[in-house]
Amino acid sequence: MKRLTWALGGCAVLLACLAGWIASTSPDGLERVAQDLGFAPRGTAVLAGSPLADYQARFVHTRWAAQAAAGLAGAALLYGFGVLFGRALKRKR
Amino acid sequence: MHIPDGFLTPAVWATLDAAAIPAVGFFVRRAQTRLDESRVPLLGVMGAFVFAAQMINFPVGVGTSGHLVGATLLAATLGPCAATVVMTAILVVQALVFQDGGVTALGANVLNMAVAGVWLGYLPLRLAGGPRRLPLFVGGWLSVFGAALLATVQLSLSGVAAGRALFASMLGIHAVTGLAEGAITVAAVEAIARLSPRFVFREEG
Repeated sequence: MKRLTWALGGCAVLLACLAGWIASTSPDGLERVAQDLGFAPRGTAVLAGSPLADYQARFVHTRWAAQAAAGLAGAALLYGFGVLFGRALKRKR
Repeated sequence: MHIPDGFLTPAVWATLDAAAIPAVGFFVRRAQTRLDESRVPLLGVMGAFVFAAQMINFPVGVGTSGHLVGATLLAATLGPCAATVVMTAILVVQALVFQDGGVTALGANVLNMAVAGVWLGYLPLRLAGGPRRLPLFVGGWLSVFGAALLATVQLSLSGVAAGRALFASMLGIHAVTGLAEGAITVAAVEAIARLSPRFVFREEG
């Protein structure tokens, strides 16, 4: 169990750090279809101005490092959510 | 296949937002009774892992990419109720913090990937009585294809493009992306099973 938790956590950190190096920057399926069929310009962002928008930490100026920082922050947020949700579940029982 | 703001008409996104809230509430309550206590420590790392894995876009054909959704992977490790909750949390963080997927379209994305994606991915595991290779692969494919089908219906209702071209291209691309989802799901669940066999989901009772 301990081993599994560390392995998954380690993989999450590794993937978040490597994303800027190895991830394809091509549009994803829906973005590609939106471009091909001409409805991409309809896309807007209701909530503009997050410091981590588009997986780029605005306060880091190297592209891969900005993505790694954003990825690590996101992974930490979800880890935190899981811990809190788990605690809430235990308390309710 | 995160739908951004602006693609769906207000009637469509508002309806889906209104439907998503009680749906997620239902699975939160069910997770309370269904989630096995020993799996609680996995909630955080699985959420973090799937979030990070979703950042790795891989090429699908020329000039298009895809990434793991992870709905079947979550269902196979946490069970479908907790998987729906964790996937919803991932989509909320992506929309609010990373501007990946719209805020107005959050209900649509949650229903497509966290509800339909997770439960379509879980269906073959349930039918086969366990997370063996074939049901995991089929579940991975089905979760992506099913979620894409729903997204396409929602986009079509919003009148973004002519139905036939929209369905053909969306379903074509995601039929291929689904194969990668299936393969990654099999590999990830097998790796997890090797480290800790009892944490691969059997049956929810």
